[in-house]
Parts: sequence; structure tokens; C-alpha cells
Amino acid sequence: MAADESRAGTGREAREAAAERAAIAVRPEEFQHGSSSKREKVFELNGVEVLYSGVSAVKGIALDIHRNDVTALIGPSGCGKSTLLRCLNRMNDLIPGAEVRGELLYHGEDLYGPEVDPVQARKLIGMVFQKPNPFPKSIYDNVAFGPRILGRKEDLDATVERALRGAALWDEVKDRLDSNAFGLSGGQQQRLCIARCIAVEPDTILMDEPCSALDPISTGKIEDLMIELKEEFSIVIVTHNMQQAARVSDRTAFLMVELDADEDNRWGRLVEFDDTEKIFTNPSDQRTEDYVSGKVG
Amino acid sequence: MAATETRIHYQEELERLEASALGGLDLVSDALERTLEAVEHQDVELAQLVVADDDRIDGRYLEVHQSLIALLARQSPVATDLRLISALLHVLKSIERMGDQCVNVCKMIPLSGNEPPADQEMVTLILSMGRQTRTLISQAKRAFEERSVEMAQDLVRQDDVVDNLNRDCFRLALEIGDDADRREWAMTMLLGARAIERIGDNAVDIGEQVAFIVTGLFREFEDASHPTS
Repeated sequence: MAADESRAGTGREAREAAAERAAIAVRPEEFQHGSSSKREKVFELNGVEVLYSGVSAVKGIALDIHRNDVTALIGPSGCGKSTLLRCLNRMNDLIPGAEVRGELLYHGEDLYGPEVDPVQARKLIGMVFQKPNPFPKSIYDNVAFGPRILGRKEDLDATVERALRGAALWDEVKDRLDSNAFGLSGGQQQRLCIARCIAVEPDTILMDEPCSALDPISTGKIEDLMIELKEEFSIVIVTHNMQQAARVSDRTAFLMVELDADEDNRWGRLVEFDDTEKIFTNPSDQRTEDYVSGKVG
Repeated sequence: MAATETRIHYQEELERLEASALGGLDLVSDALERTLEAVEHQDVELAQLVVADDDRIDGRYLEVHQSLIALLARQSPVATDLRLISALLHVLKSIERMGDQCVNVCKMIPLSGNEPPADQEMVTLILSMGRQTRTLISQAKRAFEERSVEMAQDLVRQDDVVDNLNRDCFRLALEIGDDADRREWAMTMLLGARAIERIGDNAVDIGEQVAFIVTGLFREFEDASHPTS
């Protein structure tokens, strides 16, 4: 017993690791089937509808999100772009009364299938929020948090450094990794959150207004970073800032609010989804043109 | 990495587009060189090659123009960047016109016939014009790259040389005599000289855009409708 006890630590880790592998019904290596070309689909949405307590927030959403693209969701307030984004890593599960209908495939697998563990899905599909939300811990511990939880304790220093470099923060913090993360500027905190996100090696990063609380210089750094990150990850960003979508994204989806005949109900719908260059130089839909040129909003 | 340097990809793209647009001037310079060779040797085949190759210049125009429009739409350039993009759009148009002028010269080469030139002096004048114009093209490019207003303004002086040679051509044509064939040849050559003279004017136009980028003010170096001299 005593001997078993002494090995329990490693044994538990191994079991947890095995359980984790089993729990990820949708594993990234399984997703790598088919073409590895630029056009590989990460998400396929068909007739997606999200309801809160039975009321539609968005409906009829059909779009494909491709690997290594930055895909931007734009539209006026209340058009459901954040709701749509949160569907992509099942964050809406955490909201009581939220329901997702329609087909939402992640690497060809139903993201809402009964065998999918939402916690595991969120590990593969990370998220960065509007307000930087570092933990009240050191810079190092913030980035190491995810890998430690996952039991990836080997080469933790290397993992932390790689993530901080990936988030273009390493040079600014390498001499004070033990300092509290709250001592960083807002822009640095946001990049720390990006580092924390990529430390667990996701394949997609969802960003919900990641720069709206930041000054223009910090915003510029995050935008530059997005262009670097898309080499390795797929990025979906919700932004109020149309010019930001224009600057950083490859594809842009424009959503707007639709009212029913008696104007009792309103929901978001997808108006146009195309290459960003097309959306901002020659959109197909007049409503897109009016929105991107600032004539309506 | 410099702590304050941001929008690196945008800056790189803008630099790439400037280099690509100005590279169009090298294409024009090459086209003009071959045009002059075709004129000198009445080489119809070479002239046809220049005509066909103009597609490359037009292609450069379309490609960079499209990219600049996309950059305007996506990056909201302001200040110097905005002036640079505006200038590049003008420069592209000039380059496209310069290419067309080479085509105009080359298209008249078969018209000048297989007989030896009626007046060798006129051919020599046109070749001088062309060489001087190539100098203007390379100087316009350098002025743009170095944002040198001084070098840009000097294009006017260089262009005066081309204009004077063009007038000399005109005088020679007047004095070519009464023979109908010789007069037809001279008229055709005059059209070619005129086309080359216009290339020089386009080079001066590019110089004006250099001054616009640097100073933020646009003014013509020379106003044809209100000449100073």
C-alpha cells in the first residue's frame, strides 16, 4: 500500500491524462483529415440559431471559417456577433436558457454532439475577452496555469517562454516573470491573456472585442500580433471597430438586426460574408455598403 | 523589436507597392530602349515585340492600382501615407501612358516603309530625344525614391532639352522638300517624336507628385496654359 501510495502522484497524472484523451471526443489530430490547404475548414455553420430562453438572438447563420484565416464578425450593437462567437467554443452553455440549434461542425464533427466535452472543446478553441482578465498571480503563473491544469509540467519554462514570445510579450517581461500580472499595462495584460490562451496549444483563438479597452498603440501591437498568430492558429474576432476588421482580417462577416413585421421581435442575421477586401471595396449587398461606409449603424 | 513600432505589415505592404509601381518605370525605360532600337534599324519585328510587351506595363498598372485601392479601403492611410498613395495612383497612370506612347512610336515603324530613312539627321534627332527621355525616366524614379524635390524640379530643365529636340525635328520636317514620299515619312516621324516628347512630360508629372508628397502642396512645375517664358 505504502509503495502504491508513493506512486500515486504519477499514477493519478497518467490516469488523468488518459481520461483527458478519452474525453476529447474531437481531437485536433482527428481533424487534420482532408486537405491541409489554406481552404481547410475549421468551422462549418449551417442554419445556426441561438436562442436565449426561447427567443432568437441570431438565426439562419451559414458560414465557413477557414484554417489560418482571421475571420471578423462585424455589425451594429445587438446584431448577435458576440453570441455567434460564443457558440464557437460553447461558451453559451454557461448562460442559463441559452440554446443552439442548427448544424455547427468543428473540423467536420458536430461541436454540440453528445460525446463532446465542452471543457475540452474550449481548450482547443481558446478565447480572449474585451477586458484583459489576468489571474491575480505572477506573469509566469498566469501563462503556466493552463499547462499545469492539464498536467503538462515538463519543460514548463520553455512552454511559458514560447507562449510569451508567441504573444510578442517576452522581451518586455522576461526579467520580471515573477511580478504580479496586474503590474502590466492594459495592452500587456491583453497580450498576457493571449499568451495564456496559446500556452495550451489551441487550434483556434476567438477574440471578443480584444482591443476596445486599449489605446491605439497597444491596439496596433495586438493587430500586428494577430497577423503573426494566424500563421499557426485560426482566429475569429468580433469587433465594433470596422477599420480594425478591415486591417486585420482575411474574411469578414457582416451581421445586422432584423425585425419581424410587428417589430416585436428582433434577431441578428448574416447579411454578407466575403473576402475582407471585397467587403470594404465592393460589397455585394447595399446594406453592407451602407454600414461599412458609415451611412447606417 | 522597437517598442513603439506597430502596423509593420501595413508599412511593408506600402513599401512593396511603391517599389512595384516605380518598377513600372524600369519596364517603360526598357520599352523605350527597344523602341529606339526599332526606330534606328526600322526593325518591325522588334517594334511588334514592344507592342505585345505593353501588356506587362498595363498588367503592372492594374495590379498595383487594385492593391492601392485595397490598402486605402483597409488601412485608412493618412498624412504622408495618404499623399504617397495618391501620388502612386498618379504615377501609375503616367507609367501606363508612357508605355502607350512607346506603342504609338512602334506602330508607326511599319508605316515609315522599307526604304532607307529619307533624312538620317531626323532619325538621329529622335534617337537623341529618346536617350534624353530615358535619362528623365530614371531621374524621375530616383527623385521619387529619395523624395528629392530638387531632383524632381530639375526634370523640367531636362525636359526642355527634349522639347528643343522636338522643335528641331519639326523644322527638319518643314524643310524636307516637295517629294510626297519624303514628306509622308517626315510626318510619320514627327508623330513618333511627339510621342517621345510626351513621355518626357509624363516624367515631369511624376516629379510634381514627388513635390506633393514632400510638401503636401500640389503645383505644376510648368503650366502649359500660362507659360512663364
